[in-house]
Amino acid sequence: VIRRVWRGAARFLKSVGLVSGLLAFIGVWSMAATLIPQGDVASRDVADWAASHPAVEPLVAALGLHQAFTAITFLACVFVLALSMAMCSWQRTKAATGRARTLRKARRADESSIIGDHDLEIVCDPALSASEVLSVVSGTLTHLGIKTKERDGVLAAVSSPLSVWGSPIFHWALLALMVVILVGSLQRSDGLMALTVGQTKVDAPASYGRLRTGPLHDWSAVHRSIRLDAFEPDFRAEGIDRGPTPTVSVLDEAGNVIQKQRIYPNMMLHAGSLSINAPAYGLSATLSIADTSGAEIARSVEIIDFSQAAPEGTVPVEPLKLSDGAGNILLLISVTVPLDRTGDRFAEWMPNAPTARVVVTSPTGESLSDSVVSPGQGVSLSDGVVLRLVDIGWYARLSLVDDWTTPVLYATMVIAMIGLAITLLFRQQLLLATVVEGPEGRRLVAKLRLWRNTPTSRSEITSELTTALGNDAKGGTS
Amino acid sequence: MWVALTLYAAATVMFIFGVTFVREKLTRRAVFVSALGLVPQIAALGVRWARLGHGPYIGYYELANALTLCTVVFFVVAAWRNPRLSATGMGIMPVAVLLLAGAMLASKADMPITAGLASYWLFVHVAFANLAFAALAASFGLAVVFVIRRRSDGGKWAQRLKKLPPQDVVDELTARFVLAGFLLWGIMIATGAIWANESWGRYWSWDPIETWSLIVWFIYAIYLHLRFRLRWRGERLAWFAIVAMPITLFCLLGIPTVFKTIHAGYMGGVEG
Repeated sequence: VIRRVWRGAARFLKSVGLVSGLLAFIGVWSMAATLIPQGDVASRDVADWAASHPAVEPLVAALGLHQAFTAITFLACVFVLALSMAMCSWQRTKAATGRARTLRKARRADESSIIGDHDLEIVCDPALSASEVLSVVSGTLTHLGIKTKERDGVLAAVSSPLSVWGSPIFHWALLALMVVILVGSLQRSDGLMALTVGQTKVDAPASYGRLRTGPLHDWSAVHRSIRLDAFEPDFRAEGIDRGPTPTVSVLDEAGNVIQKQRIYPNMMLHAGSLSINAPAYGLSATLSIADTSGAEIARSVEIIDFSQAAPEGTVPVEPLKLSDGAGNILLLISVTVPLDRTGDRFAEWMPNAPTARVVVTSPTGESLSDSVVSPGQGVSLSDGVVLRLVDIGWYARLSLVDDWTTPVLYATMVIAMIGLAITLLFRQQLLLATVVEGPEGRRLVAKLRLWRNTPTSRSEITSELTTALGNDAKGGTS
Repeated sequence: MWVALTLYAAATVMFIFGVTFVREKLTRRAVFVSALGLVPQIAALGVRWARLGHGPYIGYYELANALTLCTVVFFVVAAWRNPRLSATGMGIMPVAVLLLAGAMLASKADMPITAGLASYWLFVHVAFANLAFAALAASFGLAVVFVIRRRSDGGKWAQRLKKLPPQDVVDELTARFVLAGFLLWGIMIATGAIWANESWGRYWSWDPIETWSLIVWFIYAIYLHLRFRLRWRGERLAWFAIVAMPITLFCLLGIPTVFKTIHAGYMGGVEG
């Protein structure tokens, strides 16, 4: 029973109908996904679309089309496709093994083996000698795009046995690609880390603002730090404006520099399995808190994002929280940097005369003070404690991806393309012909297999040879 | 560029007349005129390349131009190597003319290479997109003549197209061009993924262009499965190749005009 079920399942999985159906379904599903906003139900685009399409929204939501590429329907289809691909790859491997064996055998074929195993027979014009027949056949086949070699009375055009491996290689590589993508998503970490100039952060979850980590990612094996060495707001290289460019160092456990470079579009930093990109940047404000005697008791660097929607063009990423020894929040301090304007927009750049707006509120939200200060100036908090603005600088938001599967993924893609190229470029053909003398005259007997990439067809070869040899064809196809 | 467009249009008319009135010489000359059209087009693109410092990679004008160039080169080489394929120009050259006419109507403003596009992957990625389209356009042309001849069923059009290889060879060639296009399109996707990872830190983000390029690849994958596994032959598969072509074209040129995409930069638009 188990064997019967297994065979049935295997037959179903390797059926071309299933593969084509799955590809078509995934294609249509993906088309729908490009037409429907993708994201969380709470996101603005999705909410707006749902409000404007009340008739179809219930169906779309039920199908999970707002998160189409993580929906269970989509993932199930991809999983079945992977299973189907595994079965097909195995089937193709078996077929290729058989063909390769046939081609190897054909390379050793002689007259007697062709006479014993042929599938085309043409009675020749009696006026032609055996060598003339082979010469005519060779010329006709060359005209049709098949070059032949003659050896011991046998005309042969046999492809290399390696030519049959393109399709299995391609399909196994595609399957491997799917596995690599799966493994990659399980073990990779992908997060955003904000750093101000001169700041160093340990590569650990606490250092990230937003972080996605696969269940197999091992943080205990990560022993490195990231440092922002410099930030050039306007960097040019090779005559092209590369935009705001941070210089970043990756340090090992002992603080030695493993890799250091500028990061800009198309110039990521790679250090082992780690890749660092710099997708965003903003401003930073360094604050110092001094007691009544003027001695610094704490220092903090606040990071500030640009926002055209904000009243002065910037928003704090997070307010600074001042707590007592027991951890109770005493004050919330929000720091922004008013931007200069260009036309009706804020210039998302360092202002000509940078200042910081410092808004102090109580934990209940009551506004206690709101003042604009320049570097060096301070704001009184309470009991003689002073918050002083040290300076305003830049920060870079780095995107760190730790994924050792990326080079494997590239390699798999290359192998898949090599397999496909073999399928496209290499002929899979077997043509063996010889002349036989018989009671009904001289006959051409041939064995013909045109599997892939042949410039002609069996019917065209038969027709052309029949015409060239001046007689009718017997023999059929097999 | 207008000279090139005029020559391509003339070649198209010559193909149609040559085939319709069974003037083989006219069809052969049409191939020559198509090749002649390449001269001013290459010259114009070369001058622009020298002036801007980058190849035809950015904006509708340059992209459609490059697609046209590759399509015509692909066709001329195929027709030169196998003169029996000349009549397929009747299906291929109208695509080239429409593409180039579209390019001529688009903005020809100079678009400099931005930091996001300054990568050698741009050249590789776009080159494979052009080559893939040229191969798929060739399969489209072959499929068109296959359907015309099949529909004629031994009638006038079958006579007019009798110089073409037999139907089964045309069918096989269509499949081979689809396979070539499938390979080149696959390389385009792979190089795009590598470039995306180097540029944005992620190799796949289901952006509309990425998604549609995968859809196109799947469409041709279905074609190849039907052809090589289910042994589909003939008209229905030819129709498949014909219908797939506009989807391919839409993927290459239409997406940034319809969808918000991070790829909009290459069309000179604002990245979404």
